[in-house]
Amino acid sequence: MGQSSMVLFGLILLFYLVFYGFLAALFTFTMWVMLQTLNDEVPKYRDQISSPGLTVFPKPVTALEYSFSVSEPESYKGYIEDLKKFLTPYASEAQKNLKVCANGVLSEQKGPVYEACQFPLNLLEACSGENDPDFGYSQGHPCILVKMNRIIGLKPQGQPRIECTGNSKGENTTTLAAYPPEGNIDLKYFPYYGKKLHASYLQPLVAVQLNYTASSTPKEVTVECKIVGSKNLKNYDDRDKFLGRVAFKITMRA
Amino acid sequence: MGQKTPRIYSVELNGAKDMKQTDKGDGKDKYRGLQDNCLELGKNQRKEHLTKEIDLDDHKLSNKELETKYHTNIVTGLSSTQAAELLARDGPNALSPPKETPEIIKFLKQMVGGFSILLWAGAILCWIAYGIQYSNDKSSSLDNVYLGTVLALVVILTGIFAYYQEAKSTNIMASFSKMIPQQALVIRDSEKKIIPAEQLVVGDIVEIKGGDQIPADIRLLFAQGCKVDNSSLTGESEPQSRSCEFTHDDPLETKNIGFYSTTCLEGTATGMVINTGDRTIIGQIASLASGVGNEKTPIAIEIQHFVHIVAGVAISIGVLFFIIAVSMKYRVLDSIIFLIGIIVANVPEGLLATVTVTLSLTAKRMAKKNCLVKNLEAVETLGSTSIICSDKTGTLTQNRMTVAHLWFDNQIFMADTSEDQLKQTFDQSSGTWASLSKIIALCNRAEFRPGQERVPIMKRVVVGDASETALLKFSEVVLGDVMEIRKRNHKVAEIPFNSTNKFQLSIHKTDDPIDKRFLMVMKGAPEKVLEKCSTIMVNGQEQPLNNSTAEAFYTAYMELGGLGERVLGFCHLYLPADEFPETYSFDVDAMNFPMSDFCFVGLLSMIDPPRSTVPDAITKCRSAGIKVIMVTGDHPITAKAIAKSVGIISANSETVEDIAKRLNIAVEQVNKQDAKAAVVTGTELKDMSEDQLDEVLTSYPEIVFARTSPQQKLIIVEGCQRQDAVVAVTGDGVNDSPALKKADIGIAMGIAGSDAAKNAADMVLLDDNFASIVTGVEEGRLIFDNLKKTIAYTLTKNIAELCPFLIYIIVGVPLPLGTITILFIDLGTDIVPSIALAYEKAESDIMNRKPRHKKKDRLVNEPLVVYSYLHIGIMQSLGAFLVYFTVYAQEGFRPSTLINLRVEWEKDSVNNLEDSYGQEWTRYQRKYLEWTGYTAFFIGIMVQQIADLIIRKTRRNSIFQQGLFRNKVIWVGIASQIIIALILSYGLGSITALNFTMLRSPQRQMLLLVVTIQASVLVCGCAPRHSHLGVR
Repeated sequence: MGQSSMVLFGLILLFYLVFYGFLAALFTFTMWVMLQTLNDEVPKYRDQISSPGLTVFPKPVTALEYSFSVSEPESYKGYIEDLKKFLTPYASEAQKNLKVCANGVLSEQKGPVYEACQFPLNLLEACSGENDPDFGYSQGHPCILVKMNRIIGLKPQGQPRIECTGNSKGENTTTLAAYPPEGNIDLKYFPYYGKKLHASYLQPLVAVQLNYTASSTPKEVTVECKIVGSKNLKNYDDRDKFLGRVAFKITMRA
Repeated sequence: MGQKTPRIYSVELNGAKDMKQTDKGDGKDKYRGLQDNCLELGKNQRKEHLTKEIDLDDHKLSNKELETKYHTNIVTGLSSTQAAELLARDGPNALSPPKETPEIIKFLKQMVGGFSILLWAGAILCWIAYGIQYSNDKSSSLDNVYLGTVLALVVILTGIFAYYQEAKSTNIMASFSKMIPQQALVIRDSEKKIIPAEQLVVGDIVEIKGGDQIPADIRLLFAQGCKVDNSSLTGESEPQSRSCEFTHDDPLETKNIGFYSTTCLEGTATGMVINTGDRTIIGQIASLASGVGNEKTPIAIEIQHFVHIVAGVAISIGVLFFIIAVSMKYRVLDSIIFLIGIIVANVPEGLLATVTVTLSLTAKRMAKKNCLVKNLEAVETLGSTSIICSDKTGTLTQNRMTVAHLWFDNQIFMADTSEDQLKQTFDQSSGTWASLSKIIALCNRAEFRPGQERVPIMKRVVVGDASETALLKFSEVVLGDVMEIRKRNHKVAEIPFNSTNKFQLSIHKTDDPIDKRFLMVMKGAPEKVLEKCSTIMVNGQEQPLNNSTAEAFYTAYMELGGLGERVLGFCHLYLPADEFPETYSFDVDAMNFPMSDFCFVGLLSMIDPPRSTVPDAITKCRSAGIKVIMVTGDHPITAKAIAKSVGIISANSETVEDIAKRLNIAVEQVNKQDAKAAVVTGTELKDMSEDQLDEVLTSYPEIVFARTSPQQKLIIVEGCQRQDAVVAVTGDGVNDSPALKKADIGIAMGIAGSDAAKNAADMVLLDDNFASIVTGVEEGRLIFDNLKKTIAYTLTKNIAELCPFLIYIIVGVPLPLGTITILFIDLGTDIVPSIALAYEKAESDIMNRKPRHKKKDRLVNEPLVVYSYLHIGIMQSLGAFLVYFTVYAQEGFRPSTLINLRVEWEKDSVNNLEDSYGQEWTRYQRKYLEWTGYTAFFIGIMVQQIADLIIRKTRRNSIFQQGLFRNKVIWVGIASQIIIALILSYGLGSITALNFTMLRSPQRQMLLLVVTIQASVLVCGCAPRHSHLGVR
């Protein structure tokens, strides 16, 4: 009795081994076939990201709220480091091998080698970090970088630029400076050909610098940035709060 | 009151009821002399049971004492004011209806039974989770609230649906039990009044006459030729004579008490009401019946078992992964949400509704086949029945006396006893037959009710007792218009049948214009008739009656009697014309005519023949492994004969007595193991201990219980249930109701059944036909098979719904399948297909296998769970994951990128998540992709469920035996799946709460391709279930 049940158990074990082995092989095989149908350079479909989202740097700790004290370097140290880290690929030495492209035209390429255009840091002027390693945070004029998400093959129409407006509480007024001027994004950085073909690609950036006029503290301002000037770049979607726009809040104490 | 007053509780069908009663009447007397039995003893014992409950001594009181006791007057009756006071004190004279569970309780029961508890738990957990989320973050999404609400709605809707189904079948019953108000003739204020029987009070003086139902328990004060039928109370089939004398201490035995709801067959009587309403004997029995607890139906037990399995799996996997999630440093809140997801994925939300629909579909189908099911779950109980305790009269038999055999010219002829006989085919050329047929036609007082010329002979209503009706119909079939024959042979004198004479005689002028002799015809108990004969007719010629002819007569008589048939002898005598001229005046009191030297013509035997469909039904039962036990109040010989002719005792099996007779040895010497059949009488049963009864029930495959009281039925049922059998019991009398209640499935007779029986039963046979039970059994087994298929189908996708969560928790890929989407599978695409499985035709062997053992053959057993979860379920999950990975890879996220992406993926602040190609995604874009993934996974499961549906069509047959196209509803189910899926992924893509998105068409093509491969693997998956694993 015991022996025959052992045999049965063995048979069942064997059955499951073979059965699951077969299933695993089948699954692996079909996955492999599926991966073979993919293109290494470009995803098969890009319909779900037809229009780019906007993101900001430095990355705020809590959801899109910057809060620091001008007099305490520790409170904004994280932001500065984040910015520095983000801008590392934009350093002049890193950009040495990149192409200097003509302004205002799309740099469409046929390959097989795809070149990236230079994005000189000095375009960001006061926010480039070259002159002011504190990106204005120590003076109470903090810089925020705004960028468009990378989307393969995206070709903006018209002259896209990032327009930011500031809204502060009470009578305080805030002026915003944008670099490059008017927040322009040059067409020469488009289209993007993907991580594999376009490895050295640098995204165009726009810097926004806040200038508070009022002296009362804390100073609070809500900034809203959106892409304008291009027909095919959406800047409003009632469900996606980051599609072509971004809003963030800056609280600055003395 | 009067002749037209219909009897309550009964439906007149072609006078069958009347016949039954009269049949139980004088007919029995006629052949009681043939076999001796210990009837008297039996009677006493049968009644013990009841007597214990009864405290009644009014039968011992004199009329005067009664008058004092009830403050009434025998002549003038009660006064109206007195009566009104008593009515106010005692309430109306009616049985209080069985205690109804309040509707709200019934409704709530539907809400909390079975899966509902799990779903409620899920819903509440969802709300709790939202509460926690909300207290942490005021802007948290309402998903969990939706989910909880949907779960709660599912429970409520399913509950309402089940309640509605239940209420519908209850309503059908309610229409049944509508009573026709009964009237009573009562003396009040010295006046005779007709009042509704409900208003009777104790002390009322009522008058009854033949044909009336006794309106309350009465003590008879005056009776003339009064006979009552107490069969519904005591199970005794003989009419009981009633008089005003106190004859027995036992109120049930004494002749001066008439019981509520019994019938007065003939004569008149006056009585004083001594008990009304629930205090009557019948009322007490009815309340006894409601004391017998209702057992849980087998299917309810199965469903509960299933719930336990599913809940066990859900909770253990849930808790396991809760622990895993917590130890993987997920937040507790998240872990709770996982737990909910796992429960939701595991609970087959739609199954409850599916089971209810399936059962009610079958109930409908059964109603068409004359089985009205009161309790939906009883549908399946019938299928698992392993023993049927069946009544004889009316259920196995046609419930009408019919001529079965004739004996003349030293030969036995067989008559056609089928339901719709049009002509008799035996040899009718003999001269003896001409004489015999004339006697049969003339010596008969029964008449057709006028105005039935167009009705088939067998269906015509006859005024007369059962035997006479049988003879009238028989001669009408053979001879044509009997009334006309009687008219031509004018009757001049007659002695009606009575139990002392045991014969009936009439004298006629013949229609022969030449022969002016009177013809005297006689029929009666064969031995009495033979006594009066000196000659016998053979081949039309009179021959002297000698020893050898007499012996031939006795042989035939015994043979027919041994068949359980009621035998009548027929003889005639032509009176010499010189002694009895045409003008002769016959005087039946003075008997101025000869009473001897008749010429014996023939014998004729009658029986209540089995219904023609019954033998076939019994054979089916036997091959289906169902033991059919006959339980009847009838005589053992008749019972055995019927049992033999329908196959309850098969042709080659013998009882101990048979063997003893064959081997010519004493009964005690017979080896009991040689006997396959047993006929047990109520008397024997009374002396048996429980163990002895058990032994009888287990050792004989073929058993007939004869001369049993309805109380003993309960004992038999309990005995069968001790053998772990699922017992079906048929019954019609009030006294059957405890047995009907006790049985796993009580089957009441729709035509002959009393109200109490119908109330106690789970099912009502509309045509009183045993064969309908067998169709019911077939439907019941079919439903069990099909439910198994439905459950297997439903369970399969549980794994495919569960795996996404497990992979999500462990591997950290974006969630492949949302809870809302799971609900759309469970309550959307899968509903119609799983109901469609209920339409699956029976597999070929359905009535050739043993009934399921209620403790071993479970609805949901290990092989089913293993096969559904570990074989098909795993395959389905793999298929669906393939589709999921395909969608993500094609959009830019390769499988390698997805692993451990969960945290970043779900962060609302990350709006530039990079995919495998360097593109950056906002949170909403990712969410949208996630929904596309849900949709893909959903489609993946849906397509594979189509394949699953097809392989679930069969359990034993191969798919080709079963046929792909025999069940068209399956294709409706598949179409519904596809249509619902299309609507969800195209039509409702814009409603975000539903989490469905449109799939690109090339993606879909890819999906279908991939899934078709998987589906074909699924179909190949039929192979392992025939393997050594015994998995189905």
